Amino acid sequence: MRITVMCFRNLLRRRLRTTLCIFGISLATVFIVAIGATTSHYTNVIRDMNIFFAGKIVAVPEGAMVVQGFPVVGGNIPENIVEELSQVEGVSTAVPMLVRFGYQIETVVQLAPSNITVGVPYGNWSTLVGRIPLESGGKWPSVNDEVVLGQSIARQYGLEVGATFRAKDVNLTVSGILDSRSALLLRSIIVPLDMARELHYPNLEVNWIGNMVVVTFDPGLSEEQVAEKIRTEVLGIEALTTDLRNEIVEPLLSDIETWNSGITTVLYALSMVLITLVAMINISERRRDFATLDAIGAPKQTIFRIVVTEIMVMGLIGCIIGVVVGSFSAILFASLYTEIPLSLFLAHISEIVSPWLIIRVLVSTVAVAGVAGMIPAVAATRVNIAAELRSEY
Amino acid sequence: MIVETRDLTRCYQLGSSRITAVNEANLQIAEGSIVSIVGPSGSGKTTLLNLIGLNDEPTSGEVYFKERKTSTISDKERREIRLRDIGFIFQTFNLLPTLTALENVELPMALLGTPQRTQRIQAIECLGSVGLAERLEHKPRELSNGEMQRVAIARALANNPTLILADEPTGELDSETGREIIELLLRLSTEKATTVIVATHDERVAEVSKAKLAIRDGEIKT
Repeated sequence: MRITVMCFRNLLRRRLRTTLCIFGISLATVFIVAIGATTSHYTNVIRDMNIFFAGKIVAVPEGAMVVQGFPVVGGNIPENIVEELSQVEGVSTAVPMLVRFGYQIETVVQLAPSNITVGVPYGNWSTLVGRIPLESGGKWPSVNDEVVLGQSIARQYGLEVGATFRAKDVNLTVSGILDSRSALLLRSIIVPLDMARELHYPNLEVNWIGNMVVVTFDPGLSEEQVAEKIRTEVLGIEALTTDLRNEIVEPLLSDIETWNSGITTVLYALSMVLITLVAMINISERRRDFATLDAIGAPKQTIFRIVVTEIMVMGLIGCIIGVVVGSFSAILFASLYTEIPLSLFLAHISEIVSPWLIIRVLVSTVAVAGVAGMIPAVAATRVNIAAELRSEY
Repeated sequence: MIVETRDLTRCYQLGSSRITAVNEANLQIAEGSIVSIVGPSGSGKTTLLNLIGLNDEPTSGEVYFKERKTSTISDKERREIRLRDIGFIFQTFNLLPTLTALENVELPMALLGTPQRTQRIQAIECLGSVGLAERLEHKPRELSNGEMQRVAIARALANNPTLILADEPTGELDSETGREIIELLLRLSTEKATTVIVATHDERVAEVSKAKLAIRDGEIKT
């Protein structure tokens, strides 16, 4: 007879209570996974933004709200500023770009951006995407109405190389699809800069060229040195080095992670209280069983192990259910607030709900269950045999 | 002597009153003997049995088990003695409800670390000797009271203890079944040369034992 068999039988015997306890643990795990996956996905997207221009300076209008390398809200940059930037001593190239996050699909405004349009001058594609290739058959735009799409957008709208579609009354042809799993590039629409201006400033006569400029500089100079020169020589422009961009976004990421940790801690604490309460009720109803075990000489650690094993098994089952439901909830929420079809998220679920998050939640939940089981387990070892096994009352 | 008590006393505090359940009991029980402790309900039989079986600690006095003073031994050693040397039979059987008859008998062997195969063989043998060879896979709720008490006897004998303590073993049984159970207990203990102490208020049970101790208001009268 194995002691673990006894544990399983005990759980099955009190099915309703076991189910309720597992349900409670599952519910907490659902929230932990759903919130954890969503926040970690978006913090990863934000971190992902900075790998694009690492080692380069990003120049944006003063006062623009920048998340890593990309201006989210803020002014525009006229052509003459790009010229001024390229003439600053030590600057090698100044590539203007126009970045627009799409929060609206048709007339519906989304909570999170569902796409990002980036206008890049011809021949400067690598400034944005580095060495990321296109899927076979694709090429970078050579005329103004050609566009390169991220995989996710292309799949969502069933667009392949050569396909045409209409955006803001302009006909565009897909010349290539990016072969990248970068969260940002998956949803990107890369167009020639002139087309981006036509799409986003159709009626403006002012000579805006973009809303950011990516600056490279001569070897031997540091980012900080060149950025300082830009700030001094080009008025109305903020020059952001890689470190500065990280510094700007770090408090935001830190806040997100603090909230996430706080919510997770509260949920674990609630789970622990729930597990302890259910287990204490369970123990009080089985005092006679524990007294019998005690009377026949079961070592204290065996009784302790029985209780903790039962609770950890409930924790594990609850956690597995919670992880599955939580993962599905995370991608369901993501799909709902970005209007990106669920199937696209399902195909790459591990990018939103990372295996590391799943392992962390599994280990933490079982550990929490184990800790929550300590008090009931100690209570079970301290049952008064003489009082519990008396047949006369 | 397998069990000896010297001035054994156990008092309980019940609200503001102090109850003396066992009062300066002095006993000497020889190995292999069959002793009944007879007394009315509330006379202290169960308390005395719990003290002898190391399930409870005396307020004063001493219990010697196999010449060993038990007040100085650790909790771990007390459990070890209960597991190896003492078999308990309770009035209300106290079988674990989630285990089958076979598993209930295997349990003390499992706790002792007996290999699983040996546990199974010995448990089947024990249940066969109490006449339950056909009821191995039945859970307690599927057994009659008499059958449950037989399982309890098999469980008590599982680790071949030197002492069996039976607290009102016929209390929940009809007279015919009770007689069968006592006969079975006596037969098995004689075969295995086990010492048996039975607490009972049933005079018929007391009559078949070799020695009889009367207890009243916690005091033993031989």
